[in-house]
Amino acid sequence: MSIVETKIRDLPPASLAPAKTNSIEQIRYGCAIGALQSVAAIPRAIPITHCGPGCADKQFMNLAFYNGFQGGGYGGGAVVPSTNASEREVVFGGAERLSELIESGLKILDADLFVVLTGCISDLVGDDIGAVVRPFQERGIPIVYAETGGFKGNNFTGHELVTRAIIDQFVGDYAGEQQTGVVNLWSLLPYHNTFWRGDLTEIKRVLEGAGLQVNVLFGPESKGVSEWKAIPTAQFNLVVGPWLGLSTARHLEHKYGQPFLHVPVLPIGSNETARFLREVLDFAGITAGPARDKAEAFIADEEARYYKYLEDFTDFYAEYWWGLPAKFAVIGDATYNLALTRFLVNQLGLIPARQIITDNPPDEFREEIRAQYRRIADDVATEVDFEEDSYAIHQSLRQTDFGHKPPIIFGTTWERDLAKELKGVIIEVGFPTSYEVVLSRSYVGYRGALTLLEKIYSTIVSRSA
Amino acid sequence: MGKKTKQIAIYGKGGIGKSTTTSNISAALVEAGYKVMQFGCDPKADSTNTLRGGEYIPSVLDLLRENSRVDAHDAIFQGFRGVYCVEAGGPQPGVGCAGRGIITAVQLLKQQDIFEELDLDYVIFDVLGDVVCGGFAVPVREGIAEHVFTISSADFMAIYAANNLFRGIQTYSNKGGALLGGVIANSINTDFHREIIDDFVEKTQTQVVEYVPRSLTVTQAELQGKTTIEAAPHSEQAGIYRRLAKRIAGHTESKVPSPLDAKELRAWSAGWADQLIEIERRSERLVANA
Repeated sequence: MSIVETKIRDLPPASLAPAKTNSIEQIRYGCAIGALQSVAAIPRAIPITHCGPGCADKQFMNLAFYNGFQGGGYGGGAVVPSTNASEREVVFGGAERLSELIESGLKILDADLFVVLTGCISDLVGDDIGAVVRPFQERGIPIVYAETGGFKGNNFTGHELVTRAIIDQFVGDYAGEQQTGVVNLWSLLPYHNTFWRGDLTEIKRVLEGAGLQVNVLFGPESKGVSEWKAIPTAQFNLVVGPWLGLSTARHLEHKYGQPFLHVPVLPIGSNETARFLREVLDFAGITAGPARDKAEAFIADEEARYYKYLEDFTDFYAEYWWGLPAKFAVIGDATYNLALTRFLVNQLGLIPARQIITDNPPDEFREEIRAQYRRIADDVATEVDFEEDSYAIHQSLRQTDFGHKPPIIFGTTWERDLAKELKGVIIEVGFPTSYEVVLSRSYVGYRGALTLLEKIYSTIVSRSA
Repeated sequence: MGKKTKQIAIYGKGGIGKSTTTSNISAALVEAGYKVMQFGCDPKADSTNTLRGGEYIPSVLDLLRENSRVDAHDAIFQGFRGVYCVEAGGPQPGVGCAGRGIITAVQLLKQQDIFEELDLDYVIFDVLGDVVCGGFAVPVREGIAEHVFTISSADFMAIYAANNLFRGIQTYSNKGGALLGGVIANSINTDFHREIIDDFVEKTQTQVVEYVPRSLTVTQAELQGKTTIEAAPHSEQAGIYRRLAKRIAGHTESKVPSPLDAKELRAWSAGWADQLIEIERRSERLVANA
């Protein structure tokens, strides 16, 4: 496929750029306590929430229901106990109520790990959650707590708080050996990323195909808490994505002396995946010899299969060129946004028209993220925007020059109406994806890239149906 | 429809004599034939003790802790000459949110139209210390008290607390909140104390409602679990409290105060501190020369 040439997009003049509204229309993330779904993503782990009525349910419905209709699973959704804190818990404190809830929860819930998550009420009033949870921990009950009041940040922040809580309070100290070839994977935000189950499965598959052993930690391929307990024994931590998971990796480096490898680009397609695997193999010290040969054989085998499908696809791609979009926009969290942009530019030769990151990455990471977009390909650079307000995002898309062909927008359900307005095509790839039912579908790695191609071009050819 | 109940809030730094003064005002008003309720807004729930022979009463929040629905009548107790006593109460120290507790307690009585039902002439809120958060500002907000008085001694910390209260009043003043009636100057035994308070009220554009001296009569009455009005009705101090009560009862025009900002307050207190040191030195010299 061709590589296109484009120049750094000129930003619209200040008068055209939508003014900061100081408000958010159509949200693109949940509250910190939304990380209850990160707990639910660990097999046989159950979250216990200490918050007002509605908090837990709203987060579940948003993140796991009207987002691919993923469902609550073993421990999430409707299973999650809540103190349903009311005025009484505000005035007198909710510690007693929480203790009662944990005690009764233990009688009817069967889990390998419980994670207590607090909401705004408890964090504002200052309930001492540690003092509530500690006696249970002393009784040998696998339970930890994370203070996830809404003012701490969004569900990305909540995810990091929960991860940290499990590592510090459940995994604990470790001074033993680390096992070569074993890697802990820190990547997509469970549930929030609609395709996380399939994607983590594919990432694990390719890493294992290359000869590594993977603690995937979340999702159907995770072995549950035994994998978490094994975190300190891994050779290194692997962070895949522009920023999420980095603070965890740094913490683990400090706590267990474990090194980490940061790969900002979640790999989609053959080129990216091969590059990704080689980088990880090099970091793992598998640079030559039979292990490397085996890994290279796996890459070659995957590549052969991938390009066989692409070869067949080229008939369609070449024949149908007049009906295919040329310019695209991606509206989504940093991980998917960067990954998709690279794939679409490098593998399909599409032209990036507008990229907007919506997960509010911490400021410290933004410059590096911008730099990633400035080197999307050897000869393609683009600018990325950070925006969380859908009003501003949609205004910005309206002002984007998509050329004479209909634009293709990789976004969320919030972009559906806008895509109609712009007479373009919408592919829902992020939260909230309310018009897709997603089970094991993946858009990453070798297999996911093919699925993504199917999705993109099925959507396009079926437009006129 | 009954008469309009006059609602008054009294604030001041902890330990300044707020409950003592408030209870004596309440006692003086019932003695004068008015129907009065004293509403203690302090988690310690001891505002009304001296109106009830030193006895503690269950607070609104004590009742709310036990039951989710509370009949406000269960939290109202009568004391000296029929004065109605209510304590908001609060959580144990260190847990929960005392400010929200005050809001909850005040709202409970308002929702059940208690003030109208009892046909009260006066409701006096005795509010803990500083306006530290929204909860403690509740009596100042729209629809509760119309007039706020602050009790202060000439002690700088008490004046800081008074100044903070003025800032709270100023915040709510353009939202229909209560305005400032003035300062009740407590423990004023020397001219110097008086000068400090006078200067402070002048700077902040308010007034002194009454100067109340420190008196052993008050201590003796408190030890008996009584107000001075009850224990020593013919004492000079009781007379002062009656005069204060009368002034507060007759008070109609409250104003927005002009609190000092942090820098002004520091400069102001430093100026007075210098004078204070000078006076101390002079008296030491007198002692040495004697």
